[in-house]
Amino acid sequence: MANKLKEPTYILGVGCTRFGNLLETPEIKGLSLQELAAEAAREALADAGLGPQDVDAVFVGNVTMQTSQMPATYSQVANWLGTQFKAGVHFDAACSTTNVGASMAAMGIASGVYDKVLVVGLESTQSQPKELSPFERGTIPTEEMWLWTDHCVNQAYSVPQGYDIFPTYNAFNALGYCRKHGISLDELDRGLFELCRTRRLHGSMNPKAIRQQTLEDEAKQLGFDDAWEFWTSRYNPHVAWPSRLYSVVTPADGASAIVLGRPEEAVAGASDPVELKGFGMSVMDLPWYTDDPTVMPIDEQSFQKAYEMSGITSDDIDYLHTHDCSHIMSICVAELSGYLPQGQGLKYAEEGRLRFDGDKPMSTHGGRHAFGHAWAASAGSDTYEAVKQMRGQAGSRQIQNPPKTAVIHTHGYAMISTVLVLEGGK
Amino acid sequence: MTDSIIKRYYDALGKGKLMGKKCEQCGEVTFPPTTACNSCGSYEQEWIELSGKGKLLYVSHGMAPPPNPRFNDLAPYAYGHIQLEEDVYLQAIITGVSIDPETLKGFFDMGPVDVVPDILEVQGLNVLAFKQP
Repeated sequence: MANKLKEPTYILGVGCTRFGNLLETPEIKGLSLQELAAEAAREALADAGLGPQDVDAVFVGNVTMQTSQMPATYSQVANWLGTQFKAGVHFDAACSTTNVGASMAAMGIASGVYDKVLVVGLESTQSQPKELSPFERGTIPTEEMWLWTDHCVNQAYSVPQGYDIFPTYNAFNALGYCRKHGISLDELDRGLFELCRTRRLHGSMNPKAIRQQTLEDEAKQLGFDDAWEFWTSRYNPHVAWPSRLYSVVTPADGASAIVLGRPEEAVAGASDPVELKGFGMSVMDLPWYTDDPTVMPIDEQSFQKAYEMSGITSDDIDYLHTHDCSHIMSICVAELSGYLPQGQGLKYAEEGRLRFDGDKPMSTHGGRHAFGHAWAASAGSDTYEAVKQMRGQAGSRQIQNPPKTAVIHTHGYAMISTVLVLEGGK
Repeated sequence: MTDSIIKRYYDALGKGKLMGKKCEQCGEVTFPPTTACNSCGSYEQEWIELSGKGKLLYVSHGMAPPPNPRFNDLAPYAYGHIQLEEDVYLQAIITGVSIDPETLKGFFDMGPVDVVPDILEVQGLNVLAFKQP
């Protein structure tokens, strides 16, 4: 494998809707999925200073067909995006979708086929069309959402024999982390509490996050002066002991979009382009690890490929997002990437070093728990945040020295490890 | 007509057998069985029966109601990460283990323990669970 982009490729524009619930959240309430996708695309195109007919191809990602009821999603949304007659495809890499799309776009651009590509991810995890209505949606029960989401997981042997995401992607990893690093279960709980506080702080500073209340404020609202007491209360049960509810994903509805192009396609006066310097992808089926649940071989491979293509090392990283629908796994992957020292991630969280104003900032949009997780759209929301931070456009949660090198890792269920390396910034 | 590998696996479970594949190229065991060696990708494999003996490395529990309605009557159940003596890793329901934090912490403090298959029939499907011998 040559593992090289033959020509440089840039992110010219990014867009992302508020993450929330199409039935409740004010900014997106009442929208159809077609309109949600168009909102993200419109922001990304405006950010790039382009119109929809300026792009050559559109890659549209959506995972959960039961909630979209729109297979062949691209042809169904093209008229809403304004991209009719363009090349297009519907694709799915689960929770890595939008960043896999950005990688495919880079391949299309660096090969000389396309000058500009629009990548869009859209997802509803909260509702589905009501009785085939074109505009009315009804809430789906949580277990139904997981049943459909678990269609992404081994259907021959795992799901039919009792597979459950919470022990597999939270509890075993947490227990493995404790055993590997000699950390007590009490220290684990405290560290995950501090990590949640950090993510919720970031969510409270982000008008697009699904959860915009700090953990402390939520605790107070429910009658707890002490947030730790709230953390260990019945409001935060073990979803899979020792992992608690507030250390895991908050499912959401949302859409994101990325415009990529050759550097000469950047429009004067538009937002600063950011180079997509490299990427890495690796896939494996369950089980994702052997005797050490903190290390997935696919992550070792995807980081290695991305570092090689982009010519960076972990020492170059100024901002990191790792897939954090499991907070403990996000720490395991951050340590695997070399951004954090082995066994120190939770300690760094306690010391505030992972905050936007810390020396090792991570997931400043709030991550999967506070920003929310809309499967196919989420990787794009991570890239959106990284690009905004690199340009100095992240508002109150802006990292003081805008990062020059950002790395974004996602786990696409189940399991597509994807790493993007971005370079640019002021 | 040939039965699929998947059906042969589940049928064998019903007879108390854990059937996998052994690679004719690299010698690694793939369990549960597929059309290709999970280590090297070779299609050249032969059927083998696994002993079923293993170590329970970690145990926790799943959610209730469970994502798969087949397990409505069993959930919430203990769920474990297991290493079989053929050096195969898998995850499965663990029977006979309470899911209260004290019990689960006891297993964590104890470290790996021996387990053997406890094949269940759940709504008409043979399911590979494990138990302490």
